[in-house]
Amino acid sequence: MRLRFKILSGFLILALMLSIAGIWSIYELKSMSSSVQGLLKENYKSINAAKIMTESLEREDSAILLLLLGNWNEGRKILLAADSLFKEGFSIAKNNVTIPGEEILVKAIETKYNAYKGIWESPLTNPYQRHDMTWYLENAHNAFLDLKSNISDLMTINDKFMFETASGLKEEANRAIMPGVVAIISALIFTLLFNYFINFYFVNPIIRINRSIKETMANKGKFDVEIDTKDEITELAESVRTLFNSIKTQA
Amino acid sequence: MCFNTVSRYVGVVLLINALFLLLSAAVSALYADLAFRPLLYSALVTAMFGIFPLIYVPPSRRIAANEGLVIVVLSWLLSCLVGTLPYILWGGEFTFTHAWFESVSGYTTTGSSILTDIEALPAGLIFWRAATHWLGGMGIMLFVLAVLPSMGVAGMVLARSEMSVIAQENFRTSVKNTLRIIFTVYIGLTLLETAALMICGMNLFDAVIHSFATIATGGFSSKNASIAYFNSVPIELVIMLFMIFSGIHFGFIYSTFQKKEKLLCKSQIVKYYITALALGIVITSVNLYGDTFQSYSAALRYASFQIISIGTSTGFATTDSSLWPAVSQLLLIFFALQCACAGSTSGGIKADRMVMLGKAILRQIKLMQHPRAIFTVRIDGRSIAEDALALGILFISAYLIVVFLTTLLLTVMGIDLLSAFSGAVAVTGNVGPGLGTVGSTGNFSHIPALGKWVLTAAMLLGRLEIYGLILFFHPQIWQTKQRAV
Repeated sequence: MRLRFKILSGFLILALMLSIAGIWSIYELKSMSSSVQGLLKENYKSINAAKIMTESLEREDSAILLLLLGNWNEGRKILLAADSLFKEGFSIAKNNVTIPGEEILVKAIETKYNAYKGIWESPLTNPYQRHDMTWYLENAHNAFLDLKSNISDLMTINDKFMFETASGLKEEANRAIMPGVVAIISALIFTLLFNYFINFYFVNPIIRINRSIKETMANKGKFDVEIDTKDEITELAESVRTLFNSIKTQA
Repeated sequence: MCFNTVSRYVGVVLLINALFLLLSAAVSALYADLAFRPLLYSALVTAMFGIFPLIYVPPSRRIAANEGLVIVVLSWLLSCLVGTLPYILWGGEFTFTHAWFESVSGYTTTGSSILTDIEALPAGLIFWRAATHWLGGMGIMLFVLAVLPSMGVAGMVLARSEMSVIAQENFRTSVKNTLRIIFTVYIGLTLLETAALMICGMNLFDAVIHSFATIATGGFSSKNASIAYFNSVPIELVIMLFMIFSGIHFGFIYSTFQKKEKLLCKSQIVKYYITALALGIVITSVNLYGDTFQSYSAALRYASFQIISIGTSTGFATTDSSLWPAVSQLLLIFFALQCACAGSTSGGIKADRMVMLGKAILRQIKLMQHPRAIFTVRIDGRSIAEDALALGILFISAYLIVVFLTTLLLTVMGIDLLSAFSGAVAVTGNVGPGLGTVGSTGNFSHIPALGKWVLTAAMLLGRLEIYGLILFFHPQIWQTKQRAV
């Protein structure tokens, strides 16, 4: 093999090793970045929506109690505002269905909220009908608890998924770092190996040729160096030998 | 010591490893799993280190004995090292210590694992684990000899270090012949077992994984419950048959199938090996019948599998033998110490040395009765030289010292005596599972990190027949001058 190829191969291998490790690390970092974005965009959004829904639902529950206590205006005002807030939260949750099981929960929340709304609309539209604590405990409160449990489930599955993704991030970080670590250690070992071969196959033969040329010129003896690298250095030694032989013949 | 020549041969070994890493990456791509990138990058790094010495170092037919030894040992160590790459790049349960343990366990065909959930691993990595068994089982050096054009004299020197001294005594033949035999038997048995397991209902992937592990007498399975997962008598029968075959000198199998010589039937060692296994099965199944298993057929089924699995140093499991009575456990420990025949992929003291030891003891008794008589130890009609006999007995002593020291170190680290002793026996013999917490259904993950390094050292000592590894670290091996180019 030619000298140029031998030297180039060393550098090429080093470059290839480092570039692949670099590309892989960048890929893993990008994947980490999209996972973080996913966490923020998808899970956190749903968790926030669930919080809004829970908050508005509790307000609605308080408003129903106000209505039952006869504070009709205040109760109605709070109830309508909470309903609007619930719809806002629900809209976020509905448009952010990203994990398995989330869609079923969202649909259940929608159905149960409509049923719950049907219950609390009765004291609003028909204030003269008798609505007391028994009615509240038998109808409104049970529906409220059932709906709240569904919203809590929605929050739990998003929390769980967020935890799993965050745990996976540690793994992804490790996968982003390890190719770099392997490449650095490999490159260091490879550099030592490369340096050894350069010294052994290029530098040492040149030193030996040089020394032998000097000795041959000083003693007028035979140029006696055996080089077995099968490249330009072997050819150089052969050329020097031929040169000395022709000088000797001419002399 | 010519470092350059050593590096060229080791380079070829690394290239073979890279090829199998690439194959594992292809499996990973086929199953579309996440191990593709770790496997591909490992293949590239390994190939780069392998190809570099081939570019610089010209081929050489001259290999000194010490160079042969260094090539063998260095190839094992470096293969184990590059074998860790896919594991550490994958992450998960694999710290560097864990990756080293799994890799050494794979290449030495031990089959002990630190993994708590094997089935959670991607298909590519499971294939790589099995491939390390297969590579290790054949002896990486034999790959080197097969692919290198300069086999002749150089090859013979390498083979001497790789194969058991007794195997060389038994089967004198040229290196090219040895290679042909080993390739034919090894690949042939692997293909046959894969086909047989598929006929019994295993899918191709599991069949290949279990064939790799059986023929290499390794023991890595693709399932957490090992062979117990399949709960199939035909599968167990096929695996048992191939485990027995893999424990016999490959030369004997080859000659039997070639119908040239019936070495398999004539050999005293094979007779002893089969008789010992049969006796072990009978005693264990009788011992297990009643308290452990209600029917004799169940006792026979599980006893047969466990005794053959341990007695051939494979290490597959169909039941938790840690729960067996003391007699059965003692028998398992005996088989884990002895293992199968030399010239196979099995580890341990080997049946050959046990026969030799038995005959040496008998000779000594005769000598005590007739002090002036001359008796020679003969195996298969050939008398064993006194130095070979002494070496064999010395090996057994050295082997037991390694087991004792490993047990001692493990107990110092807080491991209970049964787990420490059986674990030490299992790893030194390249068997795999021990008893107690490191039994068939357990693993080695709870052993402290330092303990895992001790165990891997014992695995390597066992695989390299103790003297190989000790000589590698002897300064004299490294003292010869480098040849100038």
